[in-house]
Amino acid sequence: MNRLVYGVIAAMGIVAAGLGGYGMAGGAGTLRLAWLVPLGGLELTLDPLGGLFLGLIGLAAAPASVYGMGDPDGGGRGRLAYAVFVASMCLVPLAANTMTFLIAWELMSLASYALVLHDRESEESVRAGWIYAVMTHAGLACLLAGMLLLGAEVGSQRFADWRAAAPALAPATRDLAFVLLALGFAGKAGVIPLHVWLPLAHPAAPSHVSALMSGVMIKLGIYGLLRVSLDWLGVGPPWWGATLLVAGAVSSVIGVLYALVEHDLKRLLAFHSIENIGIILLGIGSAALYRVAGLDALARLGLIAALYHTVNHAAFKALLFLGAGAVVHATGTRNMEAMGGLIKRMPWTAGCFLVGSAAIAALPPLNGFVSEWLTFLALFQNTRLDAVGQNLVFTLGIASLALTGGLAMACFVKAFGITFLALPRSDAAAGAHEASPPMRLAMLTLAAACVALGLGPTLVVPVFGSVAAAILKTPPSATGGDWLTLRVAGEFASLSTAAIAVALAASLLVPFAAFWILGAARRTRAYETWGCGRIVQTARMEYTATAFANPFKRVFDFFYRPSKRLDIEFHPESRFFVERIEYENPTRSIFDDWLYRPALELLQAAARAVGALQSGSANQYLAYILVALLLMLVLA
Amino acid sequence: MFRQLRTALRTGIATEPVAAAGEIERVGARLASEVARLFGRSLAIRQVDAGSCNGCELEITGLTGPHYDLERFGLRFVASPRHADCLLVTGPVTRNMAEALRRTWQATPDPKFVVAVGDCGRDGGLFRGSYAVVGGVADVVPVDAVIPGCPPSPAALLAGLLEAIGRPRR
Repeated sequence: MNRLVYGVIAAMGIVAAGLGGYGMAGGAGTLRLAWLVPLGGLELTLDPLGGLFLGLIGLAAAPASVYGMGDPDGGGRGRLAYAVFVASMCLVPLAANTMTFLIAWELMSLASYALVLHDRESEESVRAGWIYAVMTHAGLACLLAGMLLLGAEVGSQRFADWRAAAPALAPATRDLAFVLLALGFAGKAGVIPLHVWLPLAHPAAPSHVSALMSGVMIKLGIYGLLRVSLDWLGVGPPWWGATLLVAGAVSSVIGVLYALVEHDLKRLLAFHSIENIGIILLGIGSAALYRVAGLDALARLGLIAALYHTVNHAAFKALLFLGAGAVVHATGTRNMEAMGGLIKRMPWTAGCFLVGSAAIAALPPLNGFVSEWLTFLALFQNTRLDAVGQNLVFTLGIASLALTGGLAMACFVKAFGITFLALPRSDAAAGAHEASPPMRLAMLTLAAACVALGLGPTLVVPVFGSVAAAILKTPPSATGGDWLTLRVAGEFASLSTAAIAVALAASLLVPFAAFWILGAARRTRAYETWGCGRIVQTARMEYTATAFANPFKRVFDFFYRPSKRLDIEFHPESRFFVERIEYENPTRSIFDDWLYRPALELLQAAARAVGALQSGSANQYLAYILVALLLMLVLA
Repeated sequence: MFRQLRTALRTGIATEPVAAAGEIERVGARLASEVARLFGRSLAIRQVDAGSCNGCELEITGLTGPHYDLERFGLRFVASPRHADCLLVTGPVTRNMAEALRRTWQATPDPKFVVAVGDCGRDGGLFRGSYAVVGGVADVVPVDAVIPGCPPSPAALLAGLLEAIGRPRR
């Protein structure tokens, strides 16, 4: 039964991917069922951007479902919610009017909420689900307000009509609609400071669902932001693009900073999703700014970078979540400090996780490198803009992307090294076993996708180019280059990941070849691994994730604001003998402390003030009615 | 981070002018030419503290500072015996460190040579005969050269290393 359900969903994903590919290739289609839902009816339209996201959802859902088939503890419960989740995600990029869109959007939110509550007994999951429900519905409220506003101004709930009427709208209306819709979509995308739900909700769900939530669902927030900033509302003022760019810069750096000090493997990956959403936003923001300035080729470049990174992030983040799920299943914990030595026990998972780690850390020749390189190029060309304020915003984007890249590298050295290398730090890790065949198949597929997207930019960039051209309504460009080398913006820059891959492989072989040619002595002496001369090596002597993160915690202490608590119990006879040491060094979230807590306190204070009216006394309520009546009579 | 930057700015430059050092330069130049001839311009040294009082370490650390700066002569301290040509061992070898020293020696690739530093490294020095001490470095691993002194000055260390690499090795 389990296998059947997940198999059907995987097949559905492949069909969706095929339909999406048809849409990207320029195929268009519309489906209208006016009787099905009120207020405009059900209306679905396929266009290149919707096709791209539909294909992305399908291609991510297929391996995630295959993984679900083999996941012994994630599969049974929540099958219906999972099916609804995937189906509603497929509807979102196809929706062509407000009603259809909001129904699909809300179904997606509710189904994922049910999946977050997978582990109903755990208090942590319940809290995560609660925060997720509140944040996602606050976002829905913003979307609803924005869409109703646009609908009322334009006089139609169809997105196609908005597109046509947008240039004629009053600037204030457009700005307000942009702010409301962007807030709603940014909340779903996990843009800082609307990210609080993400690191709680993603780890709580089963791993194949986490993979889809992080890989695809938050991308639908990006889809919405693309529609709002580039499509539905026409060409907006420069501050739209600048806002997106700054939000991207902030999200990328802060996301990775939080990930660095996180030792819950799945939560670490969730924070990296925030970081990557930030990188995507850098591309979108630059595209919006270049478009306002009339630099169409550069706008296309920024958008290509954003779309490419969107697809790449879906591939490697889904892979990493599936790998993390296999590890969590094998060890029974999400805490990295209790892992270690898994590379010997689960070599397939470790290999796939390593590919994903290298891809997310933007190492060539993998896919993360290509899209971050394109993002850098798009940002660096800001010198062709003649506006100092915008140039400064771009510079902020460049600096934060560079910092993010370095920190992400450090974070994945930690994530892979502490989880898979050295000696096992717990009995559970020592007794870990390899993932089941369907899980391995799912991870291998995604790892292959990461490599293919990295080695074949010359094949995929023209596809993204045509999608970008369709959104920006410019003629498609010849960006692409020849079969081996990707050329960007004329002769500004070129890249050949295939050549890099060959060079890297060759550099591994060169020393051996050189020794062979030189005829160096091949006398060998076998001796144990160098262990600093220690006689006994135990897991307690190993480098820990906390120790790895500590230098960063110190350098960025103004951001983490760590508090320290040291509790030592000495032997009653002598202070030279310690019986017990407890050490805690937690970080504090500035968003919780300075944004959400004050806001919640304000809300509670307001509720208490209003609550005074509600005394429970019938006499008082009668008095209210009397006063209200008198007021009505006087005013009328 | 900001606190560190502030401290650095407030402190300013705190270094002193260098005094002339004739002996060092003479020994160093000969050392450099020997290292260039025998080791392809780079001699990698792993320092092992086998139970020293750290007096010798202070002098050895002095070698790496800007005044003596042994790296300009082609000598370099490395972080693992796997990278080393030479082990520079200090202190009487304590019972706790004997096995570690033996393992370090075994982990060093051939060809290698061992230099015992200080009077303690030579024969246990002040600590000879103690219950906690095995003896000099030579009692645990084969020693090629000894640099005596308590502690030997950086100049003596350089001269001793020069003498050690000039000798025929096993």
